[in-house]
Amino acid sequence: MKKRIKVLMFGWEFPPVISGGLGVATLGLCKAMAPLADVKMIIPKNVPDFNIPNIELVGLNSIGKNELEELFKKEIHYSFPEMRMHKGAGFGPYTRIAENEFIDKKFYDVFHGEVTPFEIDDLYGGDVIKKVIEFARISVQYCLRTKFDVIHAHDWMTFLPAMELKIRTGKPLVLHVHSTEYDRAGEHSKNWVWDLEKRAMELADRIIPVSHYTGEICAKHYGVDPSKIMPVHNGIEAVKHTVKNKPFEGNLVIFFGRVTMQKGPEYFVEAARKVLSIHPNTKFVLAGSGDLLRPMIERTASYGIGDKFFFTGFLNKKMLNELLAIADVYCMPSVSEPFGLSAVEAVQYGIPTIISKTSGVAEVLNGSLKIDVWDVDKFAEYIMAALDYKGLKKSVVDANAHSLESITWENCAQKVMHVYQSIFDEQE
Amino acid sequence: MPSICFYFQVHQPYRLKEYTFFDIGSNHSYLDDEKNREVLNKVSDKCYIPTNKLMLELIEKHQGKFKISYSISGVALEQFAEWRPDVLQSFIELANTGCVEFISETYYHSLAFIFSREEFKRQIEQHRQLIKKYFKQEPKVFRNTELQYNNELAKVIEDMGYDAIICEGVDRLLGDRSPNHLYKAPNVTKIKSLLKNYRLSDDIAFRFSDRNWSEWPLTAERYAEWVHSVAGHGETINLFMDYETFGEHQWAQSGIFEFMRYMPGYVLKHPDFDFKTVSETAAAYPVRDVYDAHHLISWADTERDLSAWLGNPMQDEAIAKIYELEQEIYDSNDKELLDTWKKMLTSDHFYYMCTKYWADGDVHKYFSPYDSPYDAYIYFMNAMSDLGNRLRKKHHPKLKKKA
Repeated sequence: MKKRIKVLMFGWEFPPVISGGLGVATLGLCKAMAPLADVKMIIPKNVPDFNIPNIELVGLNSIGKNELEELFKKEIHYSFPEMRMHKGAGFGPYTRIAENEFIDKKFYDVFHGEVTPFEIDDLYGGDVIKKVIEFARISVQYCLRTKFDVIHAHDWMTFLPAMELKIRTGKPLVLHVHSTEYDRAGEHSKNWVWDLEKRAMELADRIIPVSHYTGEICAKHYGVDPSKIMPVHNGIEAVKHTVKNKPFEGNLVIFFGRVTMQKGPEYFVEAARKVLSIHPNTKFVLAGSGDLLRPMIERTASYGIGDKFFFTGFLNKKMLNELLAIADVYCMPSVSEPFGLSAVEAVQYGIPTIISKTSGVAEVLNGSLKIDVWDVDKFAEYIMAALDYKGLKKSVVDANAHSLESITWENCAQKVMHVYQSIFDEQE
Repeated sequence: MPSICFYFQVHQPYRLKEYTFFDIGSNHSYLDDEKNREVLNKVSDKCYIPTNKLMLELIEKHQGKFKISYSISGVALEQFAEWRPDVLQSFIELANTGCVEFISETYYHSLAFIFSREEFKRQIEQHRQLIKKYFKQEPKVFRNTELQYNNELAKVIEDMGYDAIICEGVDRLLGDRSPNHLYKAPNVTKIKSLLKNYRLSDDIAFRFSDRNWSEWPLTAERYAEWVHSVAGHGETINLFMDYETFGEHQWAQSGIFEFMRYMPGYVLKHPDFDFKTVSETAAAYPVRDVYDAHHLISWADTERDLSAWLGNPMQDEAIAKIYELEQEIYDSNDKELLDTWKKMLTSDHFYYMCTKYWADGDVHKYFSPYDSPYDAYIYFMNAMSDLGNRLRKKHHPKLKKKA
């Protein structure tokens, strides 16, 4: 029998501490990897009593003061402050805290400061970059004492320690790309986060984007050698949901996700306006929050469709499930969506899905209605057709149900193992 | 003395335009005239004109020994008359040689046999009139859309006075018997069934330019050898295919025209072989056995069934609803509405909605003018919805005033 591979994984979001798809995906992959490899998972924060069978879960918050003192008796000299990363003035969700002069200071502050137990409340709140640097400092020092065959890091927040360990140990580095700064901020995203992603991709032995679509972004916008890119689609945990009767008359069309430029909420509003001009009895729900929420509310008010178009703000899982149980059509008009797990959740509810062509999930949900986000007429057309024409609705739902059978974490884990193996084969 | 029986299918549908929800009520033209003319011109230049010329040359060269049959849908002939009279003229010239037979079919290349027996018969009659008008022939042989066929159809066609009917030679029905004889359905008295020899037909229609095929490149001489090997255990080799095989499905560069130019000569080198039209074939040979097609078969895909046109929820709904309008359409006595409705019965509309292999991502399996089967369905449903509204307004003129 072959020796089990020891995988050192770095994650940021991890259930039950979760904000989006990243945590769900990291957990799903981890669970499915357990029978195939020894996985040690390093995350910022874990919750007592939250365990996964056969996975060694290490939350940095659980490393106490004494243990830290022991770890830091002899601290290594880190390479990354000398990487001279580009700190250009690009725009992005973290732009303000990623501005030029602040980055160096953050590194200085962290590395010259006291080592204190790691604490984090909101994974994306406050000074995320400073937290990312603290996370790197402690986790590198911690991991140098452990044995592993491959380093596997999920998204930019974890790239610093993963790079440092690759440089120090020469072990293969695999980057799992769930989202890039390009997706989040578009063409003008060449900031520090973008550069961190680029440097890490250059250093990595393999890059696992969650879709071919994201793989192309890595190749095109980050200049990564395409032969290193091996896309692996996400899975989803199989669940059976029951559809409920609506407590009101008329059809319900939904959108959920962060209300940011990336997710294309304005296309949803524009399509709703067109649909309502013909089908005034339709209701629209936009669930989620983000920087575009207020402009969207203002826009629906100015169109005079405020009584048909509802904003719920952020919904927890339970409330989201309530919404899915009564929805008639699900829309995901993302401008750039590496995968789009929520579309698969809608599929599990048997809801016809309208998704953008610029999404990873379009590669696996072949039977979905697919739109160019800018084509609002077509978008509206699809919403109305999915509501009115039973044959279409059933065809989309049937085709998606067929696709769903192969969207599993087991398939995903198998493919990740192949990626590791491809590195070992190369090294032999 | 074995015969080669060639029958070529010529058909072009009236494709629907991208008729959106927002067009309903304000725009009553559903056909994509521009696209239809463009396709017709393209196929005419690449296939119909050069192939008709070649066929005429072959007929002249072999002095009556080279014979062929055509089935041309009414909607194709209509489009020729409107946009490419030169193509129509070249078919008339072929008809005038006396070596070319025209086959009967449903005018609109429809699935009416399944959905409306009355409409089915009306369309056959409409097509007969058109064939008589252009080619001065009374068809004696019938073929149903895409070679859809079963015992019941054979009986219906016999009762309409035909001598023979064309169908696919399906392995599961033939067993170890050869398609190279005439058969009959178990429930008919004399109508003969001509079975397609799909191996030899598909060698030309599908495999000719396939470079991965072990027989590529296929020469006319080699093909004639295969045909000759039937001698002694077969009476007719029925080579049935889309006419667009020549120049459109198999490009001119593949050598398909040269192949066709020389193949008849090589076949005729064997003194026992000749070419016959479909009715000549039916008249020349006796029925050898029963071909029992209980369920509908067709010549499509590997399944040889109706799953390319019917079976998914979109196809089933669209076709059921368009036939639901039949009575109202005839009651309206509105020529324009009737014409539009009939053009929407053409089987291609439902073929474009096919989702076989679709969920597996095989999007190129079915040729379609639309981006997806969903679009094909939506435009059809939108147009049908508008047609329905117009009909209702005719029945209830008060509604019209209100609108």
